[in-house]
Amino acid sequence: MKHHAPTYRAARRITALALAGLLLALPGCGGDSGSGSGDPNAPVTLRFSWWGNEDRAKLTQQAIDAFQTANPGITVKPEYGDFNGYFDKLATSVAANDAPDVITLGGAYPREYGDRGALLDLAEVKDTLKTDKIDQAALSNGNFDGKQYGVPTGVNAFGVVVNPKVFKAAGVPLPDDDTWTWEDFRRIAEQVAKGSPKGTYGAEDPTSADMLDLYARQRGESLYTEEGKVGISEKTLTDWFTMTTALRDAGATPPASLTSELAGQPAPEQTLMGRGLAGMQLDWTNQLGSLRKASGAELVLMRAPGESTATKPGMWLQASQIYTISARTKHQEAAAKLVNFLVNDPAAGKITLANRGIPANSEVLTAVKPSLPKDEGASADFIAQITPKVGPALIIGPTGSTESVKILERTNAEVLFNRQTPAQGAKRFLEELTSAIR
Amino acid sequence: MSPTGSTLTREPQEVAGEPRPPGRDRSTRYSQRRRDAVTGYLFLTPWLIGLVAITLGPILASLYLAFTDYSLLKPPEWIGLANFQEMLSDRRLHKSLLVTFQYVLISVPLQLLMALGLAIVLNKGIRGLGFYRSVFYLPSLLAGSVSIAILWRQIFGQEGLVNDVLAKFGIEGQSWVAHPDFALGTLILLNGWTFGAPMVIFLAGLRQIPASYYEAAAVDGAGRWTTFVHITLPLLTPIIFFNLVLQVIGAFQSFTQAFVVSGGTGGPADSTLLYTLYLYDEGFGSFHMGYASAMAWLLLAIIAALTAINFLFAKRWVFYGDE
Repeated sequence: MKHHAPTYRAARRITALALAGLLLALPGCGGDSGSGSGDPNAPVTLRFSWWGNEDRAKLTQQAIDAFQTANPGITVKPEYGDFNGYFDKLATSVAANDAPDVITLGGAYPREYGDRGALLDLAEVKDTLKTDKIDQAALSNGNFDGKQYGVPTGVNAFGVVVNPKVFKAAGVPLPDDDTWTWEDFRRIAEQVAKGSPKGTYGAEDPTSADMLDLYARQRGESLYTEEGKVGISEKTLTDWFTMTTALRDAGATPPASLTSELAGQPAPEQTLMGRGLAGMQLDWTNQLGSLRKASGAELVLMRAPGESTATKPGMWLQASQIYTISARTKHQEAAAKLVNFLVNDPAAGKITLANRGIPANSEVLTAVKPSLPKDEGASADFIAQITPKVGPALIIGPTGSTESVKILERTNAEVLFNRQTPAQGAKRFLEELTSAIR
Repeated sequence: MSPTGSTLTREPQEVAGEPRPPGRDRSTRYSQRRRDAVTGYLFLTPWLIGLVAITLGPILASLYLAFTDYSLLKPPEWIGLANFQEMLSDRRLHKSLLVTFQYVLISVPLQLLMALGLAIVLNKGIRGLGFYRSVFYLPSLLAGSVSIAILWRQIFGQEGLVNDVLAKFGIEGQSWVAHPDFALGTLILLNGWTFGAPMVIFLAGLRQIPASYYEAAAVDGAGRWTTFVHITLPLLTPIIFFNLVLQVIGAFQSFTQAFVVSGGTGGPADSTLLYTLYLYDEGFGSFHMGYASAMAWLLLAIIAALTAINFLFAKRWVFYGDE
């Protein structure tokens, strides 16, 4: 590999940074070669991007087919990939003025892109894309500084996925999620690991940005404050890492090298839970269907430990993902039609079910609910059951906060490999997160 | 490529080496030269357009961006030397430099040793040389690819081939690519495997050493080792030097393998954070295009400095036969 080829390739890579800049300076040179927006009946090709596994791709393709049948002039080209690479690719294509027309985002990304002028203010297409039936709390997750940049795909919660089969085999009774504490979680995870064959664990390492937010909220803090600063305290972080290292030492969670390998495999079927090798996993409720299918077990959802015993409930309901429209799309109307179909049309809801969260449109939910298969119905029931018990809406991080995931992955590796103590890790995480959102 | 240009603009008489026809005056000669020059440049245009549009332009643009705060989605903002000042206190940058130097210092000698060793074996005039040469060259074509990097990830993973073999000996393995103490080692191994290109160059170099030297040495009763140390090695130094310079430059720019093996993060715990990987992450992951551009220029400076040092020291150990 070592000759001209790599030198040339690497040089190209570096100069590509600059090239991206040049392209940005030439508006209108990228994008699709569509026929413009003049004639409403001219055939239009839309590009629609999302992240996720094959399951999601299959369901989404069925929904796209239904949309194309209903709108003969519009062709939808799907672009999807796994979560880890999705946002790198998106950033590149947006910078190259080649963004997809309909873009799936989530968490702090709508703000990140909206702030930088890459997303269409949906007020411009409000006649086509209705939001009046959408759950207000979920809708607010796509609203920043008074501008509606996105529409929620569905409602989601972060909780615990439990595999009763693993518990039974280990001879451990299922926890009572109305009373359990983090101490119980630690103890139960340890018992499950002890009672299981080698290679099966109580849980995967539970550290994630969402998890930290939940843990902080239980203590009356939050990962970010309303003012867009870091809100979690060093003490809370230290306590968290102290617990996760204890779990690792007890063999309740896997050794550090396995945890770090799993971090590079985000798809549900690659997780320990998806492979039937863990008793519990902290995860999003909309993953239940995929995890059940992958593990072949009747997984159940539970409230997080400490919900009723800590200072405050930490769980919340959130838009699982957000559909946005590129500010540079040449087909605003068609793109709005597609998003409207996906979130407001019961026909689409009956196809995608709870794959992107429980439908946020109340009418769609009512229409879909009876036809939800058992796996998807379970997460809908869980959401309905916890709704009166959850805490206030989540404070979404400011611009730059999307880096928290990578920062935490690094810090967590440092801590789990004993290169830093929990206290040092806590300090390092705060420093890096603070400078990322500065 | 520029030598091509100068050949084209040269006078045809010089090239042909014929005497000038006596009847020609200066002005026809001049216009003839001009026509040749125009033709030459015309032939060059496609390359020139490429040079300006995809090499020179972006390079200059990145020089400008190095002095700006540029978030990719908004226009760049001039901030002077702030990017370079930030480098002084950027812990991850220092870490990435450390990782990269480790990588270069270990993988380049390893690769050159393997290349030289195999070249010597292949130079023995064994049958089917062409076949072996191709086989050993193959990894060089493959190893830069994404698929091999993915394969590497599997081989050195928790449930990979390496651990299967270790298990046969009763040793319990672990995920090598996901452990901060070993992850860089797997990358160095992968790079070492791509010894094909320097091997082929070494082979060519070995062929150039006149057989008479070896015959003379044999007459003098020199053994294999003496012959190697006193004849082969000194006469091969220009080739070794050439390979060394190329491989060092190449190793500093390694990207694909580290990107794929670490899942784009440079992890675990930044242990495989090669410089180019951090550069990419800053640019496309964190939207710090200005900073990433500044980093690109720092890399250029580092490579240029190291290459200069290489050339400086070359005087001491590189032996050109005609000296």
